[in-house]
Amino acid sequence: MAQEIYQLSATEISQRLAKGELTSRALVEALMKRYHALNKKVGAFTHLDEADVLAQADASDARRKAGKILGPLDGIPVGIKDNIAVKGQPLTCSSKMLAPLVSPYDAHVIESLRAAGAILYGRLNMDEFAMGSSTENSAVQKTYNPWDLARIPGGSSGGSAAALSAGLVPLALGSDTGGSIRQPASHCGIIGLKPTYGLISRYGLVAFASSLDQIGPMARTIDDCVLLLNALSSPDARDMTCFDKNHRKQLPEVAAKSLRIGVPKGVLGKGVGAEVAAATQAAIDFYKSQGCTIIEVDLPSSDLAVPTYYVVATAEASSNLARYDGVRYGHRSANAKTPIEMMTNSRSEGFGPEVKRRILLGTFVLSAGYADAYYVRALRARSKIRAEHLAALEKVDMLLTPTVPTPAFKAGEKVSDPLQLYLEDIFTIPANLAGLPALSVPCGKSGHLPVGFHLVGAPLSENKLLAAARLFEAAHGFANQLPTL
Amino acid sequence: MSQGLDIDHLAKLARLNLTPDEKKLYTQQLSQVLTYFEALAKADLPPTADVAMVVDESALRSDEPGKPLGAEAVTKIAPASHDGQISVPRVVDDES
Repeated sequence: MAQEIYQLSATEISQRLAKGELTSRALVEALMKRYHALNKKVGAFTHLDEADVLAQADASDARRKAGKILGPLDGIPVGIKDNIAVKGQPLTCSSKMLAPLVSPYDAHVIESLRAAGAILYGRLNMDEFAMGSSTENSAVQKTYNPWDLARIPGGSSGGSAAALSAGLVPLALGSDTGGSIRQPASHCGIIGLKPTYGLISRYGLVAFASSLDQIGPMARTIDDCVLLLNALSSPDARDMTCFDKNHRKQLPEVAAKSLRIGVPKGVLGKGVGAEVAAATQAAIDFYKSQGCTIIEVDLPSSDLAVPTYYVVATAEASSNLARYDGVRYGHRSANAKTPIEMMTNSRSEGFGPEVKRRILLGTFVLSAGYADAYYVRALRARSKIRAEHLAALEKVDMLLTPTVPTPAFKAGEKVSDPLQLYLEDIFTIPANLAGLPALSVPCGKSGHLPVGFHLVGAPLSENKLLAAARLFEAAHGFANQLPTL
Repeated sequence: MSQGLDIDHLAKLARLNLTPDEKKLYTQQLSQVLTYFEALAKADLPPTADVAMVVDESALRSDEPGKPLGAEAVTKIAPASHDGQISVPRVVDDES
């Protein structure tokens, strides 16, 4: 059976464009047709400027005709999470606070995608200011899991993951502060990579928790993920935490079959669903059968990861979100006589409940009398977690765990219990705290719902993780799977 | 450890107005989260935090002025502006 255009991987699209079997215009027209048929049902995109998309596609086709294409991404659409700045497009972080904002500039990654000829394709829904694990905190709309429309897609990059698995776009950008790329990737049966902290510039990414945030690629195959990653990673002096060399170019290819894979002690025990545990164990068994060495590793401070994360992330968020004062951009309250009233009323009207909850928590852990007990202790715990991970990653090439303990839950199921929702990120958070690269790879189903496993490596070991994932992908049928919608 | 949670004080520091219902809800939810944080109080931790994160080669750019967005682009996204400047409610009271 011939594949529909929307089913093609970005790598296949790139090849067809190169051979002249497909034009970028025909591609985006097919995708926009699917957008009109399905976006209301899935709720992935919050905005799509169709005239702008067509103009970008025509420009790409013209370049190709003139023999001047800009690289393998030329003419291929990339969906953009709504916290990454694209000049002339809305930049709302799915918040009422930024609802009126049109970005006056491009993020570094957007400049890079433009330079690669990629088509900037729409704005993707997210949890407000990237705070959440279900995309239910969006002030704009709900997003549903294409594998089961009664369930959440994960979050905060839920729009990106849902758009990919619904066949609305072949590639997407997400951002990941505690699992916001990998958790929705796992729930939607796609690939999500959080790169090493510093590999990709954060210039133009709306800040949530600056020491944890990273932009990363989301895709339906490993090759597609690499295609996008290669375009995103380059030095940028505007982000002082970005590496000043292009480490992507220096990474060697890796022989996947000789890898040493660490499995944390007891990781498939408490709190992990039976089918998630079985799918993860099957992945471990697969690597063993391929000649990889499986080693049990001890990470005694793992239990500290979630509390440490929620102290550090909310502390940084309370500080970063202080900039939303109604003065320079975003929402300004109509009911204010004094500057203080303007700030307080604008923030109270603009922020949703989860954002307020995290600002209050972050304010508390930084406040006089409590900063030493919470924030400073969390920084010390973070050092310990990082040291334990780096020590473990000297003995093994990567760690393997489930990405999320349980599959996607039903919409509304955990709305009233923030603590339960925070535990969704128990396996993904340590990589952010330690600045390590981490990847979620589809590895099976729990009932009808996708499950992913999670690989974490030493700094700049993206190629090892991708090689291991490619070995798994080649032997299984989970790549580029789309549910029937 | 969560005894010190004074929601009115926090709301003032964070510049948020909270309704009585919100105050009740957030107090209860934050207390629950802070109880969960007690693992940090009990943990055996290193005496200091290692502030050097993964990026040890962090690049400082040369100290040269960049190209600003310009007054037109900035005032275009501002909630209120006048003559190329952002306007806000009166900051200084009348002398009367």
